[in-house]
Amino acid sequence: MKELRMILKKEFIHIFRDTITLALVLAMPIALVLLFGFTISTDIRNAKISVLDQSKDTQSKTLVNQLSASGYFQVVSYPHNELEIDDDFKNKGIKLAIIIPPNFEENLSKEGNATLQVINDVSDLNVASILNNYVRAVVQRYTADYNDNSSRGSAFDITVKMLYNPESNSVYMFVPGIITLIMVLVTALLSSITLAREKETGTMRMLLITPVKKIYIIVGKVIPYMIISFISTIAILVISVTVFKMPINGSLLMLLFLCIIFMLTAASFGMLISSISRTQVDAMMITMMGLFLPTVLLSGFLFPLNSMPMVFQVLANIFPAKWFILAIKDVMIKGSGFFDIWLYLLILFVMAVVFIIFSLSRLDKRN
Amino acid sequence: MFSIEANQLTKQFGTFTAVDHISFQVNEGEIFGFLGANGAGKTTAIKMMSGLLLPTSGTAMIAGFDIRTQSKLIKRNIGYMSQKFSLYGDLTVFENMQLFGTIYKIPRKELKDRIMNSLRELDMEKQADTLVDSIPLGWKQKLAFATAILHRPKIVFLDEPTSGVDPIVRREFWKLIYLAASKGVTILVTTHYMDEAEYCNRISIMSEGQIKLIGTPDELKKKMEVNTINDVFVKFVKR
Repeated sequence: MKELRMILKKEFIHIFRDTITLALVLAMPIALVLLFGFTISTDIRNAKISVLDQSKDTQSKTLVNQLSASGYFQVVSYPHNELEIDDDFKNKGIKLAIIIPPNFEENLSKEGNATLQVINDVSDLNVASILNNYVRAVVQRYTADYNDNSSRGSAFDITVKMLYNPESNSVYMFVPGIITLIMVLVTALLSSITLAREKETGTMRMLLITPVKKIYIIVGKVIPYMIISFISTIAILVISVTVFKMPINGSLLMLLFLCIIFMLTAASFGMLISSISRTQVDAMMITMMGLFLPTVLLSGFLFPLNSMPMVFQVLANIFPAKWFILAIKDVMIKGSGFFDIWLYLLILFVMAVVFIIFSLSRLDKRN
Repeated sequence: MFSIEANQLTKQFGTFTAVDHISFQVNEGEIFGFLGANGAGKTTAIKMMSGLLLPTSGTAMIAGFDIRTQSKLIKRNIGYMSQKFSLYGDLTVFENMQLFGTIYKIPRKELKDRIMNSLRELDMEKQADTLVDSIPLGWKQKLAFATAILHRPKIVFLDEPTSGVDPIVRREFWKLIYLAASKGVTILVTTHYMDEAEYCNRISIMSEGQIKLIGTPDELKKKMEVNTINDVFVKFVKR
């Protein structure tokens, strides 16, 4: 035990004497949350649009009013024909144009349906699809209002209810993602890089030639970085809750327990990486390819998993990040407890055990 | 009983034979030189003898322990210093020695005394709290040696301990080796410097994984009919 304490002390000395890295490691999570929070927002306000109203009746005007009252859109121009719409896209920077065909009110009252044409600027696919959804939402609300007021009643009464994230707030999406990234970067990347550094400088051989237990060398490497990434996680949570009003609907204890389990998984993945890499560059490349990219791309953090080809959906299952993000979203947003997420916890834990056994067997090889 | 006793020790990596049936004995307190060109198999042999690698066949007894089955006991009884300088640069002189001393389970108080004593021997007491990165290479090498013998091992393996340091420091370094040997520590040292080979009690010359020549420096010189070990080596390589 004394030896483990000594190795821990040595690791902490490494960390604290390398002030630049330490500052980076502590500042990075905070910078990431603030960056994501303030810049990468998927909520759009006051998008410029044009409306070509060919009916100019009461109902069409009501619809246009509702569109601009929604806050999502700002009608900047009322063109007279479709040629002018083209002009608006080029010169007025509109993102979307709506054409209300003639006899809108008449069609609506007599035939019970009316058409509406939406023209999108799809040079930015994300913005276009978000705006489309907004239009759809406004039209649905409008339809509901119309049905309430009209004597006819309705055959197409659609109601949409937003669950868990009523304001469609994108903070809810990226906070779990950033926590995952930080834990992966700090625990897996840093611990594997410093272990590889010891292989490069030859101090690893010095340690291996001593009678110290190999597990002590690894645990001594991993624990300090787990502590740092735990501190970072708490910093991220505090900022998310205070600055971005992210709710923590589940129990805080459950959340922290989940984070610790995932940290263990990330750390054991880091061990695995350092057991197969010889140099710091190896360790970096393997972490980037084997852990960082899958975490960003295949975890459902930025890109929804169920819209991916089947191959990738299956592939995503073998990376710990997917399970952690599922679990942390459940705990933070839905307020799930242990019995709702025990399966995710179990998967993460089993992954950690497998990684640890594999990397120990690699370090132990004397052949 | 011999301090080191290798018996048909062999290591193969795939089809490549790095160490090919070497057998030799080293007495207690002897300084044994391990010579050979790069890739002759010296480092692989040392790795096997220090318990880092399992031999493909053959065996060796180190301080009376079998390298196949008693590597834990061997590790307690040997010290090691490699060709690359291998203490932690961002730790102080004292912290480095404290780290390795603790790993070898030297009791705390005893450890402090031993560290201060060996720093006194090296005339480095003032540098105890200096970062290892900021002391000259020659001093680092001497420090690494002092650290390797801090736990009073029976055998010390030195893998090209003096490569890259100037002749004066090399001479001082050899004084330390003699001092340790006089206390009964067995030294197995590999080197590129032929003048250093003259300092050894006995030397062996390895080539292609095999020990081709073994004996005292004088015996080898007589056998090859030359005046220096350098000439022995040159003549041997030409043969």
